Amino acid sequence: MNAPIIDPLQGDFPEVIEEYLEHGVIKCVAFNHRGSLLAAGCADGGCVIWDFETRGIAKEIRDSDCSAAITSVSWSKYGHRLLVSAADKSLTLWDVSTGEKIARTILQQTPLQARLNPGLSSPSLCLACPLSSAPMIVDFDIDCTTLLPVSVPEMPDVLAPPQRSKCPESNPPFSPAAACFNKCGDLVYIGNSKGEILIVDYKSVRVLALVSASGAAPVKNIVFSRNGQYLLTNSHDRTIRIYENLLPAKNVLKSLEDLGKNIDGLDGIEKMKTVGSKCLTLFREFQDSVTKMHWKAPCFSGDGEWVVGGSACKGEHKIYIWDRAGHLVKILEGPKEALIDLAWHPVHPIIVSVSLAGLVYIWAKDYTENWSAFAPDFKELEENEEYVEREDEFDLIPETEKVKVLDVNEDEEVDIDTVEKDAFSDSDTSVEELRYLPAEPIPDTNDQQDNLVESIKLIEGQISASPASEEAGQNGHHASSPQAEEMGETRGKRKRKPSEKAMELQAEKAKPLKGSGKTVRAKNRAAFDQETDDSINGGDDDDDAYY
Amino acid sequence: MAEEVPATASFTPYVHSQTLTSHIRAVSSVKFSSDGRLLASASADKTIRTYTVNTENDPIAEPVREFTGHENGISDVAFSSDARFIVSASDDKTLKLWDVETGSLIKTLIGHTNYAFCVNFNPQSNMIVSGSFDETVRIWDVTTGKCLKVLPAHSDPVTAVDFNRDGSLIVSSSYDGLCRIWDSGTGHCVKTLIDDENPPVSFVRFSPNGKFILVGTLDNTLRLWNIASAKFLKTYTGHVNAQYCISSAFSVTNGKRIVSGSEDNCVYMWELNSRKLLQKLEGHTETVMNVACHPTENLIASGSLDKSVRIWTQKKE
Repeated sequence: MNAPIIDPLQGDFPEVIEEYLEHGVIKCVAFNHRGSLLAAGCADGGCVIWDFETRGIAKEIRDSDCSAAITSVSWSKYGHRLLVSAADKSLTLWDVSTGEKIARTILQQTPLQARLNPGLSSPSLCLACPLSSAPMIVDFDIDCTTLLPVSVPEMPDVLAPPQRSKCPESNPPFSPAAACFNKCGDLVYIGNSKGEILIVDYKSVRVLALVSASGAAPVKNIVFSRNGQYLLTNSHDRTIRIYENLLPAKNVLKSLEDLGKNIDGLDGIEKMKTVGSKCLTLFREFQDSVTKMHWKAPCFSGDGEWVVGGSACKGEHKIYIWDRAGHLVKILEGPKEALIDLAWHPVHPIIVSVSLAGLVYIWAKDYTENWSAFAPDFKELEENEEYVEREDEFDLIPETEKVKVLDVNEDEEVDIDTVEKDAFSDSDTSVEELRYLPAEPIPDTNDQQDNLVESIKLIEGQISASPASEEAGQNGHHASSPQAEEMGETRGKRKRKPSEKAMELQAEKAKPLKGSGKTVRAKNRAAFDQETDDSINGGDDDDDAYY
Repeated sequence: MAEEVPATASFTPYVHSQTLTSHIRAVSSVKFSSDGRLLASASADKTIRTYTVNTENDPIAEPVREFTGHENGISDVAFSSDARFIVSASDDKTLKLWDVETGSLIKTLIGHTNYAFCVNFNPQSNMIVSGSFDETVRIWDVTTGKCLKVLPAHSDPVTAVDFNRDGSLIVSSSYDGLCRIWDSGTGHCVKTLIDDENPPVSFVRFSPNGKFILVGTLDNTLRLWNIASAKFLKTYTGHVNAQYCISSAFSVTNGKRIVSGSEDNCVYMWELNSRKLLQKLEGHTETVMNVACHPTENLIASGSLDKSVRIWTQKKE
């Protein structure tokens, strides 16, 4: 809706670190569908959800049973559910708005990555990729895990035997693989250790197609773009490959079956390969030919125009941005801490990167002041222009001011009600999307209320918003120091030196304020833990009947 | 009693239904909650009052709660989207966040260096925007009460602030004659709307679809501007507004209308597209400072310097 008045060139890529978020040691992040909430998993087993607009904590989710580091977080399509996988081999499904646990299973190995089915509005089906075995589908409803095939067997007419069991009895072969759902959640694309991509129908556990890659290097990550048109694989041969998805968006299974039927005279692997070539074509390959580095956590931008990948070298925090045509457009360098996770905001040109130290850095565009926004008749010029005066420029009463024609047609119909259709056309409007968590204001404590009078007097003495900046540290929300000067009005005030009297008052106020702030937060967390405890104990019985 | 101006056959005039005299000084702001069940009024007597609204009952509005705590008169009040909280802006330079159910004070937002004049929640109700006599617009985080951004908005007192329907834009108006539109996420100015003449702007708000803004200026004029083209499309005159910051509202429950207060003690109602004056509601004995339209029923509430809040409904057939 505000597209017509906001500069269209803004849909670019970020350039500088805007700020960083802190909450314990963060291990992984995920944006919800609209980018209004950011979920992050911590090393201590808890999850935190930030309201990305206010950069404040909206919710904390903690399972008292789990204290192992979180390995991945995944949102359901409409943001109602959150899937969390942890290092103690567990997968937990949470309801976001209530903060209650819906289901939990323990797997045989630690899942490195777990993704909820993106096609369903309340999914209880997810894909888990463990470190040392085949990817599996975990169904929370019937509490069953299904292993997916990672390779097509050599025998032409034997399909991979379905292995459906509560816990697999035979040890599956060690073949690390990466997997992801396609956009509507009908198919699973698996990248195996031979560099091949298998398209699998997980319901029948059949491999439908096979695409082989040029290098035979194991695939480490496989990710779809948001619109489902492009697929990205990150391989052990330090190359990121982009494939174009040729399958239609809807009725994918049927199209694949049709493709299979049309091919005569081929069986087994050859048939799979032919079908595969009709599903995906290699579009581009990216690699850093200079340093030949491994890539970590590559993904697409929200609109699929850019590809971003983090460098997997220890001790440096570099983010590479390519456009889809393959040109490297930017290298973002952060502080000297290794990068462990990366996410691009679904809508805005913002990147969020997680460093080894557990901090979440937010990268955004460097803002250049748009002066013509402040004065509409102000025009910014690219270069000096020769000014040619009007004929009546120096007249006492210029011609142009004499006649003021009001050329507004006031009789035209004005429509104040209709709203344009949402630009997010991939949202099904029948399902209510969880975009925001309701804000719960933290009540002021008595100390803070007593200090009010003092604060107001302080403000009269100086212009800077000192009480506000004191509380800034409480929410784990900081402006990164090199950028503070560039922030100008919004944050630069913190740097102004208060008068001596003010500093005294501040020093004496600082202790109780900070202390009370921390107690308030600790109280809240304790209260919240209480709630979660109660809900865990009480909720277990209703878990199965929950959906 | 309401004076009827010759109008179209389909227009049913509004009549006075109730007078609420809970306040002991001038009423500065009246607002309906988004579910229409509550009405809030703020006053120079340092209190805010809430009333339940039920069109089936007679009287329609019943006083429920009084919110005390401000040290000086209050200029504006706003409901959160779920009607759980109200925020008030006061001459004591603070904004206070109250719990509607219990009437207790939850938070005090400090930061403005002069009278806080206008305030609004965003539709997600996780942010509050406020305008002040200190010429700035501030955006606050509801959860922590922290000031997220200070926008160097104007060069004169800021008279009104409003969010659009998805919370992405903020419009602010000021005595310096400008209306500015800001991106609420980044705090950057997106547009400035100014005409050749720039009389002080006393009030501004977004239309329900966020494409137009209704601007009241202190030259007895109300204008409807198209934001994208930065041109005004409609002008409404006939009322008196040269001194006070009088608010106006869109009435969409029964045909598209503009309702406004006036310094000649009446509530004016125009038809939006034809700009024809439909009705002048008489009853107040002093300037009508603000009006609010119920979101679903044909109900108007007006607050005045005569310390009363009046409720107007459509005459029953």
